[in-house]
Amino acid sequence: MGCAGFSAPTLGEGDPENSMTATRTQTEPTPSLSCWSCKAPSGGGHFCAACGKIQPLPRDADYFAFFALPQKLQIDEPGLEQRFHQLSWKLHPDNFVKASEYERNLALERSSELNDAYRMLRDPISRVEYLLLRAGVRKEGTTKQQAPPELLEEVFELNESLDELREAKSEGLPSEARGDLTELRAKLTEAQQNFQQKLAEVDAELNAVFAEWDQTLAQPDGDAARKAVMAKLNELLNRRSYIRNLVRNVGEELGQN
Amino acid sequence: MAYSDKVIDHYNNPRNVGSLDKKDQNVGTGLVGAPECGDVMKLQMKINPETRVIEDAKFKTFGCGSAIASSSLATEWVRGKTVEEALAIKNTDIVRELSLPPVKIHCSVLAEDAIKAAISDWKKKAGEEQTAEASATSAHS
Repeated sequence: MGCAGFSAPTLGEGDPENSMTATRTQTEPTPSLSCWSCKAPSGGGHFCAACGKIQPLPRDADYFAFFALPQKLQIDEPGLEQRFHQLSWKLHPDNFVKASEYERNLALERSSELNDAYRMLRDPISRVEYLLLRAGVRKEGTTKQQAPPELLEEVFELNESLDELREAKSEGLPSEARGDLTELRAKLTEAQQNFQQKLAEVDAELNAVFAEWDQTLAQPDGDAARKAVMAKLNELLNRRSYIRNLVRNVGEELGQN
Repeated sequence: MAYSDKVIDHYNNPRNVGSLDKKDQNVGTGLVGAPECGDVMKLQMKINPETRVIEDAKFKTFGCGSAIASSSLATEWVRGKTVEEALAIKNTDIVRELSLPPVKIHCSVLAEDAIKAAISDWKKKAGEEQTAEASATSAHS
């Protein structure tokens, strides 16, 4: 995923229709972009407000801005889907077959951005990951994300018990051990329910912090609050990835994947 | 993405899988994790307090092939080394040896962290003062 933004999130930037965000962008309501074709202010949307020609993507636009959404985490998902379909229709390269090569390329560029943006934002987990990535709170690759030691202990133990079950399964199959297999399946199923329960708990917690985040967006001096919420989100996501792996692994053992 | 032959070899025949007695005075345990991918890695070393030589090393890793290979290689490398030599192992050495692609570099970072964490645990048990580098790596965010 191409994320270059590592500064603090500048809310509402490049987001013309967004009246939610409070800070610095309020004094300059729209980015002063002018249309490449008619030179009038384009309005910052997909198409020029004056002449209707398709516009190039702003360099640092984010996916929220692409859908003209504030950087909220609790979003109207059906609304997003509807917007996605509308935009797919409007930006579809087929509409530009008679246009100039430049416009055809812009249509391609915007269409592919649309797909990336939609894929990223429609799922709440990838949405929050995206937000944190843009803010530089969460990074891909080499950065060290420390997990709390108790969590590591817990995850390690859960993994070990799963491993024991796995080994017992591969060893204890032949002849006399038929009964053990049923027992093992029961244990695995129990473990799975346990992990799924934990996953549901994390998701519920995440959802609560999503709401907290959305509230900070309305605060004019919410920078510190937003930072704190982001740290909380990051921790929950870390916890979630461990648990998600456990759920997946036990599912594999049960032959569900 | 294809794994290198060395990664596959370590993955199929991991060296030194297992555990050592956590309560043993001479055993240092490092438990580290990479939350981005959900991997957890435990590395243990039995260290001779007189010679400071790592006489045994075991690991157990729950994670992808690269994480398993990185920790397997780490146990191979630290065996027979002194604590100071082991601390000099860099994640980039592991990347090079295993030809890890950029997206898997964090696996090697994890292995390096595990070595440092295990040694720092041993030092703590031995009543040694935490060295600057050990406290730097065990410091959380």
